[in-house]
Amino acid sequence: MDRLVSRIVIVGGGTAGWLAACSIAARADLAASPPLQVILVESPDIPTIGVGEGTWPTMRGTLARIGIAEPDFLLACDASFKQGTRFDGWRTGAAEDRYHHPFTTPLEGQPRDVVAAWAEQARERSFADAVGPQPHACTLGLAPRQRIMPDYAGALNYGYHLDAGKLAALLAHHATERLGVRHLRDHVEGVERATNGDIVAIRTRASGTIEGDLFLDCTGQAALLIGEHCRVPLIDRTAQLFNDRALAVQVPVAPDSPIASQTIGTAHSAGWIWDIGLPTRRGIGCVYASDFLSDDEAAASLARYIRAAAPDCDPGALAFRRLAFRSAHRERFWQGNCLAIGQSAGFLEPLEASAIVLIELSLDALLDNFPVERGAMDLHARRFNALFRYRWDRIVEFLKLHYLLSQRQEPYWRAHRDPASVPERLNELLRIWRHQPPSRTDFDAADEVFPAASYQYVLYGMGFPPPRPGPIAGNPASVAAGLRQVEHRARSLAAALPTNRSYVDALAAEHPAGPAPAPTLTPAPARLETL
Amino acid sequence: MTAHAILTAEEHGDLRIRTARGAALGDAIMAALVVPAEFRAVQGEYPILFRLDQAREGFTALALFGFESGENLFLRGQEWDATCRPLSVDIQPFLIGRSEDPDAPAQVHIDMDSPRIDNAGEGIRVFDEHGRPTPYLEAIAEKLGALDEGYRAAPAFFAALRRYDLLEPFTLQVALEDGSTNRLVGFHVIDEDKLRTLDGTALGALHAEGHLMPIFMALASLSNLSALIARKNRALGHG
Repeated sequence: MDRLVSRIVIVGGGTAGWLAACSIAARADLAASPPLQVILVESPDIPTIGVGEGTWPTMRGTLARIGIAEPDFLLACDASFKQGTRFDGWRTGAAEDRYHHPFTTPLEGQPRDVVAAWAEQARERSFADAVGPQPHACTLGLAPRQRIMPDYAGALNYGYHLDAGKLAALLAHHATERLGVRHLRDHVEGVERATNGDIVAIRTRASGTIEGDLFLDCTGQAALLIGEHCRVPLIDRTAQLFNDRALAVQVPVAPDSPIASQTIGTAHSAGWIWDIGLPTRRGIGCVYASDFLSDDEAAASLARYIRAAAPDCDPGALAFRRLAFRSAHRERFWQGNCLAIGQSAGFLEPLEASAIVLIELSLDALLDNFPVERGAMDLHARRFNALFRYRWDRIVEFLKLHYLLSQRQEPYWRAHRDPASVPERLNELLRIWRHQPPSRTDFDAADEVFPAASYQYVLYGMGFPPPRPGPIAGNPASVAAGLRQVEHRARSLAAALPTNRSYVDALAAEHPAGPAPAPTLTPAPARLETL
Repeated sequence: MTAHAILTAEEHGDLRIRTARGAALGDAIMAALVVPAEFRAVQGEYPILFRLDQAREGFTALALFGFESGENLFLRGQEWDATCRPLSVDIQPFLIGRSEDPDAPAQVHIDMDSPRIDNAGEGIRVFDEHGRPTPYLEAIAEKLGALDEGYRAAPAFFAALRRYDLLEPFTLQVALEDGSTNRLVGFHVIDEDKLRTLDGTALGALHAEGHLMPIFMALASLSNLSALIARKNRALGHG
């Protein structure tokens, strides 16, 4: 007899584990028989590492579905708004070398017409500035919404910059207090397996065995279930993306300082530096390839950046945290009744903040195609694995694109342009894009992680030449009015939107119980009790 | 009046205006001035009534929002439940400023004591970072211009109403569903019977001066009285 899937066991309590717990429990049918039970087992002494402090706009839908009000989230997670990424120095490294990859898609129209209209009528402006109002709002440090708007609605598309540790704490509180998730703090010491390889139960040190129908591996790099027990191998992607180190630091900011509206990714001689502005601190980190840069050189590069970007701050007084990683993902993410979500499934450098969105996409795929009984699980696993292999491939290609069009001459950058390091599909697309802009034809899967618009922003931001007029006529005039509207809308939004700083300060003033902005390196005391 | 200032980019470059609605922002008002030129726009939402000024010299037209001082039945929290608002409401906290010289161009003034002056950085900017008017200020200036023009055309309208004696005192008996009976007094409305008796010459003259349409618009607007009473009943928890 086929067992109904009702007992979900989540192992690991970081961003992935708690997002999984909340998402699943929030969508459970309370009238189901048997009802869905969600238990999260978290090792009491393994600290979680924040996989990233930038989310995609998808996080708004995720939080809304989970049932957390936006102001509560913003305050509890020391969060601010993220409207995309600005890439500094990627093309040549010159002072004025920068472009935006905003979250808001370009104005309506055929990509061919939009790109041609920009090239012919608005070339004095950058592509991103010409086709949408968001870069202008970012330049002014504006929030994407006004506080009077309904939760999770914006005048411009947005995600968040947040403190990942606080997000996990908020989700844990919500999961256990509101959504009926059982939380167990215990060590997982082993796994009991069935003859078909399924996990029957996990063995814990103090709480005995915990049986389940579906096990989610959210144990991060340890990959306790999918790696150690299921032995699903990793597929190495370092041939394409060879960054393997990061130096991370938290830089305190003054209470009234502006908060950047986008992640800033600044290229250096052998990698890049992230800069993520939160209300109370900036998370800054140097990503580099150890084959091309020593740890000391990376630290010097990071210190140089901090001195320039935050002149009031003495880099010598800050603690740099060193992280080692490699770009890789599982050959399969779902095997038997074990599904890997988060870093256990794979990791790529955080150039486009793909970590948290992959968690959300994995949970969406699971819940939209829920394996009601064990017999259906292998089919779902096969579909899931095919979908996510496709997605990881596309993400690798999109990240690679950022390096490929650079004219920088350091050995690291030349190595990135070595044809042997470029995925074949990306090479083909670049050949096609000489004659036509990226369009939906190039990315035809439902829910592409990066749509054609993202490729357009990077391509034309990096100076890739727009297609010349060819034998097939376009109609750039059809978007001329749209181009003018973008300018007007940019002006209107610049007038109507508050700065990020005004927004979060007004929010905090309205909720005095929230954490006070504390310009220190120690994390502000969490508003929620840690569980 | 000291808080009224001429609006300039130098003085008000970073100024932001709170454009939300709400009692705390000065919207808890029973009525607002309307000019004949906007009767057509506002008559779909509000009753238009006329009131003699205190010196009993001239009339003004008002759009009615409630039945007692401070009562705005269109206001629901932060929402103003109507598709349009009178210009005199929409242009707050700005005003038209004139110098002694009646032919000099009007200036945009601002009431710096208004609760709409924003100090939290969340309102709409008046000037952009380069000191140019924002689209918001451009729209305000357009409305101020329309209001100014309408205001200056109004005396001719009221003179015509007097010439033909077309205003009559108006008393409204309001029986509310809580059992109370209330009377709205102190207003005038268009005297419909007199209007009916006007001959073609008089109508032609009114029409030629552009007064006929606002007269009929004001008449038509009275059908909103029953809707306003219904709002009052809802506010009392009835109906």
